[in-house]
Amino acid sequence: MIQRFPASSRYSVKNDWLKSNLSFSFGEYYDEENIQFGPLRVFNDDTVQAGKGFGIHPHREAEIVSIVLHGQLKHEDSLGNSGILQFGNVQRMTAGTGLLHSEMNPSLEEEASFLQLWFKPTKKQLPPSYEDISYNTDSMRNKLLPIVSSTPTKGASKIHSDVTLYLSTLDAGKQIFYQQEQGRKMYVFVIDGELILNDDVVVGKRDSARITELNELTLKSTNETFFLLIDLGGA
Amino acid sequence: MLLIRHSIGSRLFYQTDEYDIHPKKDKWVISIKIPEEDAKEIIKFKEELNLFDVEENQKTWYYSSDANVEFSKEKYQMTIIADHKTIYPV
Repeated sequence: MIQRFPASSRYSVKNDWLKSNLSFSFGEYYDEENIQFGPLRVFNDDTVQAGKGFGIHPHREAEIVSIVLHGQLKHEDSLGNSGILQFGNVQRMTAGTGLLHSEMNPSLEEEASFLQLWFKPTKKQLPPSYEDISYNTDSMRNKLLPIVSSTPTKGASKIHSDVTLYLSTLDAGKQIFYQQEQGRKMYVFVIDGELILNDDVVVGKRDSARITELNELTLKSTNETFFLLIDLGGA
Repeated sequence: MLLIRHSIGSRLFYQTDEYDIHPKKDKWVISIKIPEEDAKEIIKFKEELNLFDVEENQKTWYYSSDANVEFSKEKYQMTIIADHKTIYPV
């Protein structure tokens, strides 16, 4: 089954420094029918104003992935990690037993946008850890590029949750095929452009699709399309 | 002020000034006067609670890794045994 969620169905939060579109229950948005999809528990599409951001705060028992789409994101945490991320960078944070971090937009002129995803960890009380990776944006053209995975994958960050995240940019009219083991799930999020899934379901910009009981998926672009595909464990 | 939040997404469950925190061996016993309806919702998410003792220049973050959360209907009192504490500036 392919269940499409239009961008407009997301819960929107806006204040003087943050614009956030929430695909699952988060903060003030609570819908007990929309808590998670498999191990995926948070999918926030965030835009942070110049010079602003998320000040120091704690996390525990979550695998947190941030994918920078535009601008810069400055990360600092209580493990001593710091760095500035931009398009072509992905960060994975294992909150485990607990850590403190901040995520700020260091630019004084340009806003920053990024996707913030939280996954349920496969094990509790993991030691907290942080990793950021760079990927070659050319290497995702007309291919699925793994950027984060629970299985050791060259170039991808290792995550402690039963998921693999792929980024791809399809040229107009191109098609890509994905197959997964029975009983697993897929989540598709179109960052920009438009996809047709299994010659049937049209998924536009910032729309998403939650896919169950299928283990094969054809993704065809109507115009140049940048998207995220997540292969998730069935639990 | 004590805040009880969901660890996934920080949803606020309860906020109070009527609470007590005292150390017991290597843990902290947090006692809160709370209506039953609020307590029910907190118990539902007892595996995923963060507690913040908010002061002027700092926050103290507590949690119970083994979901040690109990509610006394007679006393309208919730007791949380936290085994983690971190102080950070705000």
